[in-house]
Amino acid sequence: MIKKGLRYGLLLLVIPAILLTGALLFRDKQYAWMSLGIAVAACIPFFLTFEKGKAGTRQMIAVAVMIAIAVVGRLIFAPLPGFKPVTAIVVIAALYLGGEAGFVTGALAALVSNFFFGQGPWTPFQMFTWGLIGLAAGLLAAPLKKHLVLLLIYGAAAGVFFSLLMDVWTTLWYDGAFNLTRYLAAVVTAGPFTLEYGISNVIFLLVLAKPVGGKLERIKTKYGL
Amino acid sequence: MKVLQAAHPAVLLVYFLAVTLVAMFVWNPAIQLLALAGGAGYAFLIRKRGELKGDLAFYLLLFLLIAVTNPLFSHNGVTPLFFLNGNPVTKEAIVYGVAIAGMMLSVLLWCRCYSRIMTSDKFLFLFGKAIPRLSLVLSMALRFIPLFRRQMKRVGRAQKTMGLYASGGYVDRVRGGLRVFSALITWSLENAMDTAASMKARGYGLKGRSHFALFRFDRRDALLLLVSGLLLLLTLCGVGAGLTDFSFYPTIGELRRSPAAYLTYGTYGALSFLPFILEIEENLKWTYYRSKA
Repeated sequence: MIKKGLRYGLLLLVIPAILLTGALLFRDKQYAWMSLGIAVAACIPFFLTFEKGKAGTRQMIAVAVMIAIAVVGRLIFAPLPGFKPVTAIVVIAALYLGGEAGFVTGALAALVSNFFFGQGPWTPFQMFTWGLIGLAAGLLAAPLKKHLVLLLIYGAAAGVFFSLLMDVWTTLWYDGAFNLTRYLAAVVTAGPFTLEYGISNVIFLLVLAKPVGGKLERIKTKYGL
Repeated sequence: MKVLQAAHPAVLLVYFLAVTLVAMFVWNPAIQLLALAGGAGYAFLIRKRGELKGDLAFYLLLFLLIAVTNPLFSHNGVTPLFFLNGNPVTKEAIVYGVAIAGMMLSVLLWCRCYSRIMTSDKFLFLFGKAIPRLSLVLSMALRFIPLFRRQMKRVGRAQKTMGLYASGGYVDRVRGGLRVFSALITWSLENAMDTAASMKARGYGLKGRSHFALFRFDRRDALLLLVSGLLLLLTLCGVGAGLTDFSFYPTIGELRRSPAAYLTYGTYGALSFLPFILEIEENLKWTYYRSKA
């Protein structure tokens, strides 16, 4: 527990350090690259916790299965941009396998699916955003599992959150600094996508949460995960 | 087989990081142009058949979009060309927009070359030792993807023989798809638990076990690493000495034209065109030997 705290504490030191180096080296002009560094750094403690954790082989493989299902889902729905089951699968994985596993599922689903859709500077951001969505779902597992309505609201909110955070990235990547006009323009242009993310998350959670959750629950009981 | 595909993953990582990071951080038109030309040339050489047309359209559109939107959002600069809705559109903002668009394009092109050359097995080879558990999860997920797609087709066919096929209606097709998906998840979780048991039986995670890898660090790799390291070092010396400093705002600065500056451009150009040159050399060799046979 102390070690875990230390790891997250280190993050609190690393992020300001990146900001400071960025500010000194690039005279505040290069927020995009600094935020890229922060996104990468922010993923590290979660990965390390998973790396040093006690998750058995079975749990690790269950995570790998959920990642693969998320990626296959994204591939199947590739013709409909924005309409993807990744968030829903990540949330379900987090509910039944825990927040840490949720973070890893989200982050690696982004990394792996970008092997098919193309890697780019946006990869760390997608990894971090999907990871966070998984982590938060894992922390809120008890109420979300109990009430379907809350789960659906969480899905819709996660879609909006994903879109808004990716817009921050778009703005930084365009301007090198945070330009509010540009951000608002990006949010407005991405409006239909934001809506689509939210709606598709709700639909997929509505359809998948119960059956897939039941299957995961069954596997957990059967094999004692 | 492309030349770089045969190189050691560590060398490839160093090379791609070097060329892309300089392209990202050094804001100088000459450097940007060299990065763009080198990346575009190499992407052209290693393209897949039929990719060219769609790509060209996509990248041109992206370029125009960024170049045009910058002067609309940014009103920095001292040379207004005309006014739009009462806001000045400045020459500096337009030039900056073109520069930023060029930079983004070259980074995208280099990322694309990277993902074509640095395949997932090379990535796993590099990071497998540092993060064994994560890279195991990663490599299993990567292996599951084709497996699941194949299994999905099988389940679909089996359902068809049972008479459970879609009649063509949209809702019916979605329902059929979900039925297949559900069967897939059950099967894959059960299958994965078998894999876990099998791995445990074979001693996964015990101490003293080694990995199989196809990559060897040979003389060519050493040479490639040395050359790209030297070129990067020389470029960084130039950047550190301020030879590539360039300002867009408030007025557009001038490109340095001293011999030392030209040397810096030259070394970065060589770095950027290195894969292009290697590939062309290989192609020439190939045609030469074929012409003799």
